[in-house]
Amino acid sequence: MDNLRIEGTKQTPEIDFDANTGILKLSGRSIPENTFEFFNPVLNWLDEFSAQAPDKVIAKINLEYFNTSSSKYILEILKRLKTVLKDDKDVLVEWYYEEDDEEMMETGEDYEDVSGLPFEIISIEEE
Amino acid sequence: MAKQSIYQNEIENLEQSKDFLKKSEYSKIELQMEFKKLVENYEELIDQVKIITKISDRLQRKLNKTNDALESSNIQLNDLNNQLNETIDQLTEAKIGRRAGTIVMIIVISLFIVSEVFIEPIIDDAFPDNFWVGLGLKLVVAILIKPGEDFTNKYMLKQARKKQLAESKAKEAAQPPKPKKRRAF
Repeated sequence: MDNLRIEGTKQTPEIDFDANTGILKLSGRSIPENTFEFFNPVLNWLDEFSAQAPDKVIAKINLEYFNTSSSKYILEILKRLKTVLKDDKDVLVEWYYEEDDEEMMETGEDYEDVSGLPFEIISIEEE
Repeated sequence: MAKQSIYQNEIENLEQSKDFLKKSEYSKIELQMEFKKLVENYEELIDQVKIITKISDRLQRKLNKTNDALESSNIQLNDLNNQLNETIDQLTEAKIGRRAGTIVMIIVISLFIVSEVFIEPIIDDAFPDNFWVGLGLKLVVAILIKPGEDFTNKYMLKQARKKQLAESKAKEAAQPPKPKKRRAF
């Protein structure tokens, strides 16, 4: 299975999903004009990945800001990771936020509650 | 249309339920199953709406906070800019004042030399017994030093401000806004 790599822009996040290592990185800003167009290939890749995921999967999410429709797609990504967890695989979501970004920290906690996935909320220092 | 929506799955579920309603006959079990599915989908949709609304409101708050911080930074930046401009103006005035003083001094020395070498002999010839004429001429030159210095000062300051304005406009036009860099994992 091929890895999924999408360069980040001012409006779209950087995606670096490695099917072999099981490390899925999502970072940056997500305010695409057409969220469906951006996230649909990501969800399709995850559907394929769920069926052949390695024993350990780590999703590293480090978002600065995202719009409402992106929040729905993040939920969809987490739903797909839940199917991996149900297959008795080890899944961990590392949710990164900048140390003074209270909103992003709370958002991570909400996603943790709703997804039922194991989360690690990690504070990072601002540059 | 449904295939292009972020609510693709939810729309598909709804369509399935609508198709079920079109059936002319259905058993009690079928009806129960369909209703159960519909309730489950509805419950999931409500959960999604709740979480998305909560997150959306929170991120709006973050956006507002960022806007407020940006506005406050702009005000601070403007204040600092004004202070800087005032200091630059003072420095320019002092520099120009010194330069104007030097120019006026050179002119006065030149006038003194010209008057001593060329005009004084002519005056001495024309008014041999009246030394007041020569002295009066020197007095006029001395009186004109201060207004001459002020005029030169004002003129040079005006020119310097024009130059500064043109330079700052050119700088503003050349600088694009810098995007914020995000820290890596």
